[in-house]
Amino acid sequence: MSFINDHILTLVTFVPLAGSLALWTVIRRDGLARIFALVVALIDFVLSLHLWFHFDPGRGDDQFVERFAWLLSGEVTYHLGMDGISLVLALLTTFLGPLVILSTWSAITKRVPGFLGFVLFLQTAMLGTFFARDMLLFYVFWEAMLIPMYFIIGIWGGQRRIYASVKFFIFTMVGSVFMLVGILWLFFQAGSMALTDFLNLQIGHEQQLWLFAAFFLAFAIKVPVFPLHTWLPDAHVEAPTAGSVILAGVLLKMGTYGMLRFAMPLFPDGVTFFAPAISILAVIGIIYGALVAMVQPDVKKLVAYSSVSHLGFVVLGLFSLTPMGVAGGIFQMLAHGLSTGALFLLVGVIYDRRHTREISEFGGLAHQMPLYATFFMIATLASVGLPILAGFIGEFMILFGTFHSSTLVHAKLFAILAATGVVLGAIYMFWMYQRVFLGKLSNDKNRNLPDLNLREIVVLVPILVFIFWLGVQPGFILDKIETSVEHVLAPLGVEQHHESQTSESHHARILPAGGTGSPNFVVLEAESH
Amino acid sequence: MNEFFIPAVGSQAGPLLPYLIVAAGGLLVMLVDSFVKTLKKDHLSYLTLFVLLGAILVQITRVPQDGPVLGGMMLIGAYARFFNFLFLGVGVMTTIFATGGFDRDGLYRPEFYPLLLFSILGMMVLAAANDLLTVFLGIETMSLSVYVLAGGVHGNVRSSEAGFKYLVLGGFSSAFLLMGMALLYGFAGGTGFADLTAALRGDSPDITLLTLGSGLVLVGMGFKVAMVPFHMWTPDVYEGAPSYITGFMATAVKAAGFAILVRFVLLLQPQTAFAWYPVLTALTVITMTLGNLVALAQSNIKRMLAWSSIAHAGYLLLGVVTMISPAAGDSEMMLRSSEIGGSAGSAILFYLIAYTLMNLAAFGIINILGKGRGEDGEEIHRYAGLYHRNPVAAATLTVALLSLAGIPPMVGFMGKFYLFSAVVRAGLIPLAIIGVVNSLISVYYYLRVMVMMYMKDEEEDTYSGTEWVSVVTSGMLALLVIYLGIQPNAFQRAAEVIFRQITF
Repeated sequence: MSFINDHILTLVTFVPLAGSLALWTVIRRDGLARIFALVVALIDFVLSLHLWFHFDPGRGDDQFVERFAWLLSGEVTYHLGMDGISLVLALLTTFLGPLVILSTWSAITKRVPGFLGFVLFLQTAMLGTFFARDMLLFYVFWEAMLIPMYFIIGIWGGQRRIYASVKFFIFTMVGSVFMLVGILWLFFQAGSMALTDFLNLQIGHEQQLWLFAAFFLAFAIKVPVFPLHTWLPDAHVEAPTAGSVILAGVLLKMGTYGMLRFAMPLFPDGVTFFAPAISILAVIGIIYGALVAMVQPDVKKLVAYSSVSHLGFVVLGLFSLTPMGVAGGIFQMLAHGLSTGALFLLVGVIYDRRHTREISEFGGLAHQMPLYATFFMIATLASVGLPILAGFIGEFMILFGTFHSSTLVHAKLFAILAATGVVLGAIYMFWMYQRVFLGKLSNDKNRNLPDLNLREIVVLVPILVFIFWLGVQPGFILDKIETSVEHVLAPLGVEQHHESQTSESHHARILPAGGTGSPNFVVLEAESH
Repeated sequence: MNEFFIPAVGSQAGPLLPYLIVAAGGLLVMLVDSFVKTLKKDHLSYLTLFVLLGAILVQITRVPQDGPVLGGMMLIGAYARFFNFLFLGVGVMTTIFATGGFDRDGLYRPEFYPLLLFSILGMMVLAAANDLLTVFLGIETMSLSVYVLAGGVHGNVRSSEAGFKYLVLGGFSSAFLLMGMALLYGFAGGTGFADLTAALRGDSPDITLLTLGSGLVLVGMGFKVAMVPFHMWTPDVYEGAPSYITGFMATAVKAAGFAILVRFVLLLQPQTAFAWYPVLTALTVITMTLGNLVALAQSNIKRMLAWSSIAHAGYLLLGVVTMISPAAGDSEMMLRSSEIGGSAGSAILFYLIAYTLMNLAAFGIINILGKGRGEDGEEIHRYAGLYHRNPVAAATLTVALLSLAGIPPMVGFMGKFYLFSAVVRAGLIPLAIIGVVNSLISVYYYLRVMVMMYMKDEEEDTYSGTEWVSVVTSGMLALLVIYLGIQPNAFQRAAEVIFRQITF
């Protein structure tokens, strides 16, 4: 048992890699490859459940730590660790993994072992990114993510796949290389690559600004923050369904995760300096993403732009620098991963049948595919943030946190503007739903479409269940992340302290500064406003 | 004086044994080829491999007897041994690839084997040089053999042109080198490295003579490592020469150039540093940037890799520049500068290993493609769909190219990590930024080949040639590229130790 506890993070991270190596070398038959990949992903999910059940939510520091010397004379280490934030994001990854593989059963028919190998390889890179506590290790995983995604889009994608995959690769690299210089500079200052040593550094004001800019650029491209988002619609539209689900479900969260884990705690001065500008960009992203989504003729592109809008919320929540806004941001990462993942899967379902995603090609599908229409409705509602579904909690906490942010100038204005994004979100999602599913079944090509089959139901139901569950029981997640959020934000503590003093009358009651209130209490209180 | 001209080799045979083996092996191969008429095609290659592996074995098994030999003309030590391993290893790989290359062309070149051995001998001498004359001897032994290797493909106009161009420009660079050496001789009153050091530490060194002389020598060495603006020969020669030779030139010849360049700049530190540091810095930046930018526009993979090798020379020069960067400011900085020099120097050595492995893996594949069409696998558009026809070759080339682009978890990334962290430690942040931006640019042209191999559909004229020995050899190199990308520590530590030896 202690072996498991000591090495669980390594196991969770590298089991998929072992699977992908097997898929690339020995497994040749498509059917076998699918079953094998599914089994590997399930094993990985089961292993990650161990983390969930043995995680101590009362501690904000890293758990299940593994650390040994890697490079130089031990300045660079193989250092994995996990706090609540990493936990929920890693669980999201391992949870989506088997579902994604199951969803490719009929969509991917050429070079199946290769494809599934890349999916599993990507899984390893993403999990490693969430667990890494050594900056070089983090960077290695972060960059290694590019390779499988590049091939997934480029080989199995649509018409303009080459353009999209190269654009994805180059855009992401642009940000990362500057971060690398920043990391190297910090390495030289700290004498080690450990994140904790970086956090202990006293960095001058001006240096903090530069370093924050370098790190933020890398993460903002990944999120993507307006105006760095242009790679995202291309990548989403050209990627196969599985690629889109991973991209929207997990990969984009790397950016917001990176901001929260690295950029913000390491450079508090940078945060204070840039927070207003970033919040403005986030709000622009929310509204711009929604407006552009509204006019998309292609369902997938619409969902892609909705991601720009939703992740704008996450960024806004993080830079509100209130515990509630940040926790809401993390919650929204999960909710968005689930709801958008479900939407991409659903779009994939109809694309498999009709090989088009143009809204104008459809209409009245609800008559022909009632179950499909129902599932789509639930995902749509979750995406627009209907209460009792997952999307609501996150958006609400973000808006609430932003509204009461004392560090952000014009925080109330930002919150109100962002709230219009919620309204716009409802408009474009429902309008799309109406045009695709309601009305008369006008296009004859849609007459004989079969409804969801068992496999597709099996893929979608777990996600929808969790969408409900998180909506009703947000404490399920918030319990796990609360202490960790406080721990991560501790370096920004001056601001928090300041805030709890100025808006004491209102805010302190909702989330006591010491974080003594239980998360359930937090949310219930929040909802009552 | 007598022992200077007729050195007592007998007493010093021990440390010189690897050199003697390679030299005798070269002669033996040449004689066997001329006189043994019943020889089958592959026999010479086995003999050459035997010689090279024998030399490697002797290197490994003999107890090192470090120190100057031949009256101080050569300095045997860990540094020389490190490069010997590199050259001999590249020699082994090149011999294996050459067999595939002959097979592809249907053209057998027996003169290849002795020339290869002689050029390796030249490089080994160069890496152990402890005297300006030895430097010249090594460079010329190496270069003369490589001129013929590059240009001697019978009936191939492009190869002949390449060889001729290389010869003319190489002669030009030798003239610079010689002139520089003459000036340095005037400065030091001797040609030994020890004389130079003594003269530097002397009462009133003639800085003008030193600066001029070392500048000219640097120009000569710049030709060998393809530093801009002395890079003009590189694309044409790399393109015209057969791929297995191109691989040899891109790795071993370049490494030999850096072996002596590093020795030389360290020798004359800090005087050269003050005189030439700004110029070298500027040239480094130009070398990196020009190499990468021009590589973007190439449609021939050998030309592309030629420009990329110029860019990689730029990265290595970045290490050299960092190594000699004048310690600015306070005394603490002075204290640190030797440490910085050490980390930059060991980073150069590590990067040379990384660069050699990944480039050889790439050229090993390029070499065998295009079989049956009488050309190297050089047209990028003919890589379309290679993955379908030959997945192992495509995967190997992919690993090599990703590594060249510096993407983890390949060794190329680790090389850049060590290199750039030395640069950042020295406080040269702008140079580091220019370096990473350059590696960003390079990603684009490496990706283009991958796009062709994996994402384009097969076409009529897609390359399909295979030769399993070369594919397996390159595949092993690719595995090594990945392994060293994950576990580079042993090599890096060794590089540190080795580098410390030459700086004392």
